[in-house]
Amino acid sequence: MAYSEDHIALAAEFALGTLDADERAQVESLMSVDGDFKALVESWEFRLGVLNQMVGSVEPRPEVWDRIKAAIGVSEPQAPLVLPEAVRPAQPFAPEDIAPAPAVDNSNVIRLSRQARRWRSIASFTTAIAAALVALIAVGAYQPDLLPDAIRPRPRTQVVEVKTPPTQAPPSAQYVAVLQKDGGSPAFILTVDAATRNFTVRRVGAQPEAGKSYELWIVSDKLQRPRSLGVIGGNEFTTRQVLSGYDPELVNQATFAVTVEPPGGSPTGVATGPIVFTGKLVEAVPPAAPSATKGR
Amino acid sequence: MLTPGELVWLIAAVAKGDELAFERLYAATRAKLFGVVLRILRRQDLAEEVIQEAYVKIWRSAGQFNPGLASPITWMASIARNRAIDVVRKRGEVSIEEEPTAMEVAADTPDPLARREMTEELKRLLECVGRLEPDRQKLVLLAYYNGWSREQLSAKFETPVNTVKTWLRRSMIDIRECLGL
Repeated sequence: MAYSEDHIALAAEFALGTLDADERAQVESLMSVDGDFKALVESWEFRLGVLNQMVGSVEPRPEVWDRIKAAIGVSEPQAPLVLPEAVRPAQPFAPEDIAPAPAVDNSNVIRLSRQARRWRSIASFTTAIAAALVALIAVGAYQPDLLPDAIRPRPRTQVVEVKTPPTQAPPSAQYVAVLQKDGGSPAFILTVDAATRNFTVRRVGAQPEAGKSYELWIVSDKLQRPRSLGVIGGNEFTTRQVLSGYDPELVNQATFAVTVEPPGGSPTGVATGPIVFTGKLVEAVPPAAPSATKGR
Repeated sequence: MLTPGELVWLIAAVAKGDELAFERLYAATRAKLFGVVLRILRRQDLAEEVIQEAYVKIWRSAGQFNPGLASPITWMASIARNRAIDVVRKRGEVSIEEEPTAMEVAADTPDPLARREMTEELKRLLECVGRLEPDRQKLVLLAYYNGWSREQLSAKFETPVNTVKTWLRRSMIDIRECLGL
């Protein structure tokens, strides 16, 4: 996929390390739903990574190895969120990982629920259903034409795997929607903080049209008509709290759409211009959760 | 230090759950990775924590290592460095004034003694960094080696953050073009 210069610079700055914590979280979110973008970021990481040849070696204390051994000993070895029927990387699964999965359609759900339990044991949040939904939405976001014909989550849900909780985890779950046109290159990234329900929109690929404004709408069958969330895209970042008045479930399942409106937004409160970008939320960063391996 | 080929072999064994291979991989790479993260974190305790997490991640994701994309040590160092950057960004900024030694360490970029051991990729990258204006060369290298934020770079270069932002972006685009990508 051809990326805009904005994307390329964003990927490069992520690899360089100069983005702030919020921007890093957004890049990670984008990476989790867009494999090509992930590859772009990694190519920068590897390209710049050769600079480390210059860095002097420093021996860590021997205790560090003891702690690593303990950490991999107590947790199951190597269990990314790869579904049973996924092309298995040459990695052993703990016997309990393989054994009970029945050969019926809901095996995925069971697998996801086990993964969810692991998250819950850290953070007590994700239910199996939520996890399955996330997987479904992830598939939908990634390859919309898989749905609804094949409702079952596929190995593709391993996109979730990159959502390893960061070292010092954010306080709450983050949801992200990539707003794009027909699976094209992302135009805006919408991030919603589950706790505060603040949302931030980052403009990535959208080129503002002269004399026009982009307006963001929330669309749900639980709403009589789409509701405006305000004009976006005037700046690189737009942050608002307007979602706090909405039912969380509605927000999670809603479609977010961007229309082109007269400057300052639709004068009538109803979208007047064409819908140019749409997207739905997926859970990008599980709540709380220092990494599973961290001592407590 | 083992050769890259030997490291690839070890990572492949680690991907199959070979703990002995993991121990050898750790022994061969720990000092390099620790050097990288210590330089960014500047605190022994934080660096140890990050290194521990990085190796656990390496253990778990060894099966995803693709030797066609990166050398083993580059791949491993990226994992460790990413963790380190996440930690410093989330801790909030430690002002440069609080860390007087930071400036000194910052000055040392390539070690001339190591030049003959440089890989072709490194030479090429340094050549492209070298084509930036002197201030921007320093900017990019300080950002990479020390993990400095835009705010820290802004203080160091006595330049508004927004200008630093623009310089960083421009520098990365220039490097990209120079590399012929």
